[in-house]
Amino acid sequence: MSTTERILTDEILDAVREFFPRYPTRRAVVLPALHVINERLGYVPEQAVVELGELLELPPPEIQDTLSFYGFFKQDEPRGKLRVWVCRSISCSARGGEEMLEYLCRKLGIKPGQTTPDGRLSIEYAECLGACDYAPAMLAGDTLHKNLTREKIDAFVDSLE
Amino acid sequence: MIDYQPVLLANIGKKDSHALAVYEAGGGYRTLKKVLGGTSPADVAAAVRASGLRGRGGAGFATGLKWSFIPDRYSGQIYMCVNADESEPGTFCNRVLMELDPHQVLEGIILSCFATAADTAYIYLRCEYPLAYKRLQAAIGECRAAGYLGENILGSGFSLEIHIHRGAAAYVCGEETGLIESIEGKRACPRIKPPFPAVEGLFGKPTIVNNIETLACVTHIMTRGVDWFRSMGTPSDPKNPRDPGSYGPKIFGISGHVNKPGYYEAPLGITTRELINDFGGGVWKGRRAKAAVPGGISTGLLTEAEFDLPLDFTGPIKAGCLGLGTGCMVVLDETYPIIDFLHNSCRFFNHESCGQCTPCREGTRWALELVQRIRAGRGRILDLDLLLEIADGIGIIPGTTICGLADGAAWPIKMAIRKFRDELEEYIKQTNPDGYASTEPALATAQ
Amino acid sequence: MAIVLIDQREIEIGDDEHLNGIEAAERAGIEIPHYCWHPGLSVAGSCRMCLVEMGTRDPGTGEISMLPKLVPACKTRATDGIVFVTNSEKVQRARAMVEEDLLLRHPIDCPICDKAGECSLQDYHFKYGRDRRRADIRPFTSRRREVGPEITLFVDRCVQCTRCVRFTREISGTSELFLSGRGADGEIAVMPGFPLNNKLSGNVVDLCPVGALGDKDFLYQQRVWFLERHAAVCTGCATGCSIWIEENEDRVWRVKPRENPHVNHWWICNDGRYGYSHVHDSRRLTVPRRRDGDSAAVVDWTGLPELLKSRLRESGRLAAVLSPFLTVEEAYLLAKFVRQLDPQAQLALGPVPTVGEDEEFGNQFSISAEKCPNRLGVEQVIAHFTGQVITFEQFLDELEEGSIKAAWVSGGYKSDWIDEPTARKFSGLEMLVVQDLFASPLSQLATFELPGAAPAERAGSYVNRADRLQSIRRAVRPPGGVRVEGSLYWDLLAMQGLYNAPAALDEVIERIGYFAAAAPGVPESGIDLKVNLLADSGGLDKLDQA
Repeated sequence: MSTTERILTDEILDAVREFFPRYPTRRAVVLPALHVINERLGYVPEQAVVELGELLELPPPEIQDTLSFYGFFKQDEPRGKLRVWVCRSISCSARGGEEMLEYLCRKLGIKPGQTTPDGRLSIEYAECLGACDYAPAMLAGDTLHKNLTREKIDAFVDSLE
Repeated sequence: MIDYQPVLLANIGKKDSHALAVYEAGGGYRTLKKVLGGTSPADVAAAVRASGLRGRGGAGFATGLKWSFIPDRYSGQIYMCVNADESEPGTFCNRVLMELDPHQVLEGIILSCFATAADTAYIYLRCEYPLAYKRLQAAIGECRAAGYLGENILGSGFSLEIHIHRGAAAYVCGEETGLIESIEGKRACPRIKPPFPAVEGLFGKPTIVNNIETLACVTHIMTRGVDWFRSMGTPSDPKNPRDPGSYGPKIFGISGHVNKPGYYEAPLGITTRELINDFGGGVWKGRRAKAAVPGGISTGLLTEAEFDLPLDFTGPIKAGCLGLGTGCMVVLDETYPIIDFLHNSCRFFNHESCGQCTPCREGTRWALELVQRIRAGRGRILDLDLLLEIADGIGIIPGTTICGLADGAAWPIKMAIRKFRDELEEYIKQTNPDGYASTEPALATAQ
Repeated sequence: MAIVLIDQREIEIGDDEHLNGIEAAERAGIEIPHYCWHPGLSVAGSCRMCLVEMGTRDPGTGEISMLPKLVPACKTRATDGIVFVTNSEKVQRARAMVEEDLLLRHPIDCPICDKAGECSLQDYHFKYGRDRRRADIRPFTSRRREVGPEITLFVDRCVQCTRCVRFTREISGTSELFLSGRGADGEIAVMPGFPLNNKLSGNVVDLCPVGALGDKDFLYQQRVWFLERHAAVCTGCATGCSIWIEENEDRVWRVKPRENPHVNHWWICNDGRYGYSHVHDSRRLTVPRRRDGDSAAVVDWTGLPELLKSRLRESGRLAAVLSPFLTVEEAYLLAKFVRQLDPQAQLALGPVPTVGEDEEFGNQFSISAEKCPNRLGVEQVIAHFTGQVITFEQFLDELEEGSIKAAWVSGGYKSDWIDEPTARKFSGLEMLVVQDLFASPLSQLATFELPGAAPAERAGSYVNRADRLQSIRRAVRPPGGVRVEGSLYWDLLAMQGLYNAPAALDEVIERIGYFAAAAPGVPESGIDLKVNLLADSGGLDKLDQA
């Protein structure tokens, strides 16, 4: 490993340390820490895993093991500023969710799992978002978009600055 | 029509229903004060036991019985884990409670921790519920400020801290030992039981894992009493000594091909037909229903002919379903191809299998590939029998896997093929007229 | 005492024993197939190959009630009254299911896979698997991934048993290996910058039940069914791990650990595993030479023992430097020979190589800093004859005094063990015999340079640092011109017939009290000599302990 700059800033490390008193082991802080890092950096690169290992006094491969179990944390490059999750489970699928996904992808010119070239937005599949009463639904950042139609998707895309 | 006054959903229509002030104005936390003021933990546990409350997260295990597994005369650390992972496809009722009435849930958590002597509770919340996270965080803050959480709550000597622990989009974290492994910072691979979490759970300590809705019921059992709780639902079958009955209210969800998808509260035991017609506004677009998923995709399918069975812990089982599950129903109309249901389910479970156990890891992958090949028009009739054989072979029921995810993966396959065999065979014959009768293994296309 | 019934066979389990279903069945002579369980690692219970039926037997009525569902034998403790059924149709179907599952996505690599012939997937397939493939046919070969300096990974052959992951966490304590991803997409991996690079890494290849993890040292070298294996003891350090030396036609191809609950359990370190290259090193001494002035001529073995004897007899005060690489028997025979010629002969211990500190790992496995197999054994032999142990340093001092006229120095070290300045201290001797594996500054001065044997070529016994004596037999024959030390000393002492290491050990046991515990015989896992040290044994007991 070359001696590059630390990518976990003091602010990130402090935010992770806030979880220490909540658990009897440092290992239990791994998942909250991954969320902290993911929210600040948009992804969790391997170097962050190494630095987190130093903070938590755990071997980095053990952290990487946990991280890789969840498909949630990407490691190759930051995701878009806005992460859009389009649900593909049974209720949304039965009400046209997969067509909505396809439409959104076509409008933005990217495939699920990809990020727009300007880095604004990325699209991913979600398994049941728990918004079946509003199917088909998608979660964009912290906002749940309900009862999707092509019009609503048009409006959503237009609203992106 | 069902004549029923909602209790679990009583607050949600109010403005700012999630706020402490609104909850208390409606009588909230009076029960907590009363219980901490003079009821013993053992009495709370006894009440929950007597009520016949069964877990609302899917397994339907008797809550009081689960609590009783904590070793007697144990005086060390005990944990409560609140299962707010709610990832079962079709399910959203916990989300509703957490967003719109988090204090009802918190009061239930505090009462349950008091009963089980747990001094630390972790709410394992799926990360896809940002509003629920915000509301729970705020509610916990309000509780601390009001003295309902922390050291020596209301002078009772009982102390409790509640922490929210967010998941990262893995369905298997809803399995109680998978949840525990996830909190501990490891891969969420379920543990072999025994030992059960109540004996050896989170961080090796006795742990109770309960669902959000189950804990909300505890609030009402302690408020309105055991008799009230047992006054509704389906009583235990006198001919079956092992049937603990299905008591109390349930938040039923309904989605899919209905006019009014949403959540509705009713006593356990209403029928599918009542749920669809009286609550769900009937099947949409003037169509008939082909099938309904009773409570989350892992429960399987009910045919229209089975819509008059009660939705309680035994009814769906009589139709061959895995159980009531979460009680959140998905309705599929007569135009919906069952092959799509089969594909959606197999795709989900292949994605979510933790991968520990060979039969589930490989079986869910094989099932998906078979269904993909069928859907792509290269299916064989024999594939349906292979799928059934895979499904019959995996799960904790035959004992071939560590956890019930495999059973959940198997049931939709079994139900779809056993109840809709003709439709599936027809589809195969139509789409693969030249090859449907073949018995030779096909050459796999690139993965 | 617990009584357990397995397929109608009853076995007894002691009160202090903790056996699971697999171990209990083994005791009954029944195999329960398994991938993920290993006695040295935590129980995962995930492969599901060991599923059996389980029930209980009523102690009063003898009535058996079986559970309706299968249980994993690895995680089920064999307690009193338990009943296991391993041969029912239900169990057979479950095993066939697991086998079929593991073959669904398995690459068709047997013809190019090292593990063929010792592969659990192959073996169980023949015993328990289906006879036809029902899944779509998927012809492909495994991807290969580098994970470390000694080990290579054939990713797609992995069956996700996680033994290797648990090994690096629980035994080596280094946590390099992990499972990346989830479900059927799971793959063994290492992080960049954290390769599999610990002293015990080779063990993961033994653990891997299939050909996923491979030894780069052995890759594509030999088919395992051509190898013959011999029980041996590693000579790399004073731990004295039990090993198997696997050879074909007198060439060592691989070294594997041999299970020994008293020494190394199931493991060996990389130094032991990969440290046999000196056996076939082309620079080995292979012919005896005699040096006159500057020339060193090759001599014939015929008549050489007599010549050595007579030259030594003429020389005056004798000495022998006994390498800690000699077996107990060899050290004894050489010492006896030299003391026969000269009752006042000095006996000294050869240099004891020490590197670093002792290292501890999981399962109480340890690597000793003392990098030779038999210091204790050789010391005891020396002390028996001379009443004390002279170190090599002390011997060098004595050499300078000049009273010693001739010396027999045995080497046998893996690499350079003596430098020029030290060797020069021997230059004043009238006669010097050096018996060694490789040329050295000392062998350049030797009057007689004798080629010595490598560890795999000897028979005899070693005593490890815990006073455990282990006996071995020869694994490979030495190169043509080499006479194994024991065989030469046997001749020099005019013993009858071919070299007989066990007979030599009998004499040692009879004469030297320290070895008395070995009298009834030496089991495969060795014998703890400390057991009988309460008896009067002479030798070191009478010395002040340092």
